[in-house]
Amino acid sequence: MDNSPFLGFGVGLRRPHYAEVLETIPRMDWFEVTTENFMVAGGRPIEVIEGVRENYPIVMHGVSLSIGSTDPINREYLRELKTMARRFEPAWISDHLSWTGVGGRNLHDLLPLPYTEEAVAHVVRRIREVQDILGRAILIENVSSYMSFACSTLSEWEFLNAVADEADCGILLDINNIFVNAFNHGFDAKRYIDSVPIERVHQFHLAGHQDHGKYLLDTHDHPVCKEVWRLYEYAIRRFGAVSTLIEWDDRIPEFSELQAIVDEARTRSESVIRETARHAGEAIR
Amino acid sequence: MDLKNLQTTIYRLIVAPGGVDEGLASEIGLTPDGLDGILVGEGLLAARERLEIYANAYFYRLIDVFKEEFPATLAILGEENFHNLITGYLLDYPPTEPSILHASRHLPDFIGAHPLSERWRYLGDLALLERTTLEIFHAPDASALDAATMRQVAPHEWPSMVMRAHPASHILEAKWRVDEILHAIETGEPWGEPADAPASIIVWRQNSRVNYRVVDRAERAALEMARDGASFASICEAISAEADGDEDPAALINRLLTRWLSEGLMVRES
Repeated sequence: MDNSPFLGFGVGLRRPHYAEVLETIPRMDWFEVTTENFMVAGGRPIEVIEGVRENYPIVMHGVSLSIGSTDPINREYLRELKTMARRFEPAWISDHLSWTGVGGRNLHDLLPLPYTEEAVAHVVRRIREVQDILGRAILIENVSSYMSFACSTLSEWEFLNAVADEADCGILLDINNIFVNAFNHGFDAKRYIDSVPIERVHQFHLAGHQDHGKYLLDTHDHPVCKEVWRLYEYAIRRFGAVSTLIEWDDRIPEFSELQAIVDEARTRSESVIRETARHAGEAIR
Repeated sequence: MDLKNLQTTIYRLIVAPGGVDEGLASEIGLTPDGLDGILVGEGLLAARERLEIYANAYFYRLIDVFKEEFPATLAILGEENFHNLITGYLLDYPPTEPSILHASRHLPDFIGAHPLSERWRYLGDLALLERTTLEIFHAPDASALDAATMRQVAPHEWPSMVMRAHPASHILEAKWRVDEILHAIETGEPWGEPADAPASIIVWRQNSRVNYRVVDRAERAALEMARDGASFASICEAISAEADGDEDPAALINRLLTRWLSEGLMVRES
């Protein structure tokens, strides 16, 4: 996959903020739109995405590609996706390394795959098909998960890397999902980050989750916790400046609160990059 | 177990109406070690508990969406009845489309045949009105005909001018005045059982806002004719034919046209 532009720091575009974003054009580097929310014939969603696109770069982030499903790829969905991409010119298109249904049924959830060579081959074939139809590379995102399959023979990061490498696609690395999965499945989050190829990662997601004691639930309804911020800084040290997006989908706060979190991401990212540069300079001297 | 069978089994267990345990009990294709042969229990959570997270998420995600889409139906039924209704609905009509917007499209018909409709006989009509407002919200855009544009049309061109009902409009037939109860619930006013009176209700979008109101027989005939495009002359004939005699047909045509133009209900075809 070719290098994608560094967009800076953005938020997911959500309905409670539509009017404010359109009318006041608030300070924000870019927006991520949930593709399916705008995959409609007309009305307010189209008016909103057109208005936002006039003032900001956008990326299209889908939840229904179901790239890991054993059902045939939904050609009608892909046709609509391609039409949308032509019309709104997103910087890139992303979806999840997951399956959302089978047998023609949709769970409207992002389910993990077994980490096997069979699943790698299956998903790689489908990503290549999608990329051929869209005429562009896509990004795939690591999902939060609560179950592991007995048949898995690879770690989650080995699976992600194998898919991205063989399909020649990019990675949207969700830092919160790594943190959540590290707790839920008992692995080292830093080891995960250390293993992901630098050149594949084109975007980060940051979000909040809920602590249910026995497990962490990826709810996107809380601020980013301090442990995830630290993991984000760790990732910046490895990957450098990467377009970063704050996700917040439930109990959505005022836009100004999201701006403050975006500013914090920017500050932390720039601080780590300055620190890394200083250390590099000292090493050279 | 290959990937397809694995996904099919996981799907069945997630949507099992009685929960994962009941789903497991009815699975005949599982090996003797059951779920442990498919999923790994790790740390504090057993495999079954892990799958239950997905089962709960499936149901509650959908019911939250349905609550947002059918606030009046929810207000009438209450939480428990609504919960049970949706549980049954999802068994008969599990989501099949990539967009969750389509998940509730069969709900009005399902309610119409549901035992709850014996107590609230207008419920199917009300759900249909709520579902129609959702569909009209996302219906195609078109430039609505307005009075200023009409004034620029030469009088001799009016009869042959083809008009079409706005694509973001739809007339539904209800047996009850569910427009009244929906309006009352939306505005927080007291509501009771709606009048048992058949009504044609037009639902349409203007400036991103979805509106609805009852149309009489003459207006309905004209709007139905305009649905596929019709000349202004033939629309006028339809209005005249259905006018009830109390109002001069010319005055009625003038009143309806003025209203349609102000409400953005028509587009010009040619």
